[in-house]
Amino acid sequence: MRCRDVEALWDELRGECQASLKETVNGHLRACPSCQVMYEQYEGVAYCLSCLPLPQPSCDLAKKVIQHIAALKGKLSAPIVLSAVSTPVGRLYVGFKADRIVYVSLDTGESPHEVAERAQRRLHRRVVRGDAPAWVVRALDRYFNTWTVDDATVDISDLTPFEQAALRAAARIPPGEVRSYAWVAMQIGRPKAARAVGRVMARNPLPFLFPCHRVVDSSGDLHNYYYGVEMKARLLEMEGYRR
Amino acid sequence: MRSSADSAPSVMSFERIVDDYQRRLYGFALRMTGNREDAEEIVQDAFVRAYRALGKMSDQQRAELRLQPWLYTITLNVTRNRLRSKRPSNVALDALADPDAILRESNEGPPQPEAIVEQNSEIALVERALLQLPMHLRAAATLRFIEGRSHPEIAEILNQPIGTVKSHVHRAVRILRRILGPQIGRFSSEGVPLHAMS
Repeated sequence: MRCRDVEALWDELRGECQASLKETVNGHLRACPSCQVMYEQYEGVAYCLSCLPLPQPSCDLAKKVIQHIAALKGKLSAPIVLSAVSTPVGRLYVGFKADRIVYVSLDTGESPHEVAERAQRRLHRRVVRGDAPAWVVRALDRYFNTWTVDDATVDISDLTPFEQAALRAAARIPPGEVRSYAWVAMQIGRPKAARAVGRVMARNPLPFLFPCHRVVDSSGDLHNYYYGVEMKARLLEMEGYRR
Repeated sequence: MRSSADSAPSVMSFERIVDDYQRRLYGFALRMTGNREDAEEIVQDAFVRAYRALGKMSDQQRAELRLQPWLYTITLNVTRNRLRSKRPSNVALDALADPDAILRESNEGPPQPEAIVEQNSEIALVERALLQLPMHLRAAATLRFIEGRSHPEIAEILNQPIGTVKSHVHRAVRILRRILGPQIGRFSSEGVPLHAMS
């Protein structure tokens, strides 16, 4: 066995390896002084690392975690209310909790029950049906008049940091303009994540409000949209987009 | 309809998980970051993610879950995300291609593990050396030698083939051997003999 081959087996000796393997390595080490020295150093490093103490966290770390979890549990147990609201692009199902909109879905003919089930699967939260309060109607009116989302009326904090960053970058695209998936990826400091941005846009729980319809492929092609490319083109046209 | 709010574990039962694993995960996160505040926030975030994820799992998925490696994996992912957002340009040095790069880097200003040990002891030397490794090698070495995990366990935590894990462990030790050099002997002279073979 060559020195290099034996070296690759050193770490095996630390565990329960076959006796024959152990003997092969030991035999080589006995006959090769330079490997013997290197192996001792290797064992020395392993020993140094195993001597390192387990650091102690601050005494209130567990308490902080449990407080956080308890608050989260309370937040998760409050249901999301799903209402139907008429808008210039059609009837929307809008899911909201407290004073924030967390879910939007275009009425494509599904039953309200099916929409509620889909919202529940996406948000992992209990969904109940109810009437839209005035603030929800006002928020949507304002959006479809200005094509700009009011941050104070929406909540995407349940999404991952990457998803949140991508959607917020999309919201910075001016109405009537488009940007590429790669542009969004650059904006959020993940230049190689254009495909992942595409997946975020495809799963956007707040379409229209977070304008994934303004994100297109690098060639300027509208590419794809959950509600069809025709709807994407229609939305951009309503915003004043000229290709 | 079932939702995470209905199926999430109770806070009481999760408290036990936190008690059982907080110190180990904190130690792991601290060795990955070298910063006490970062490590605590990472552990908090990891537990919150674990709690959310448990709520989304079916009973069968929960029954089949191997909790310990799963928690390490979450902690490592949170750490990576955090370090990526803090230091986007800190692309790992390729230790195999140029181990000396790490030594040169260390002369220019190695990370200081004050968060782990304050005094300039042998332990501090090893901690400092560990922090000079690229993250993927540091994770492998930490899990193997400090946490005492087996190769298959590390492969599961890091989501890597066992061969890759072995290679990373080996590369990590080779670099540490070069960084620590004669300091290795100081440890052995502290009373516990180093031995080559049994």
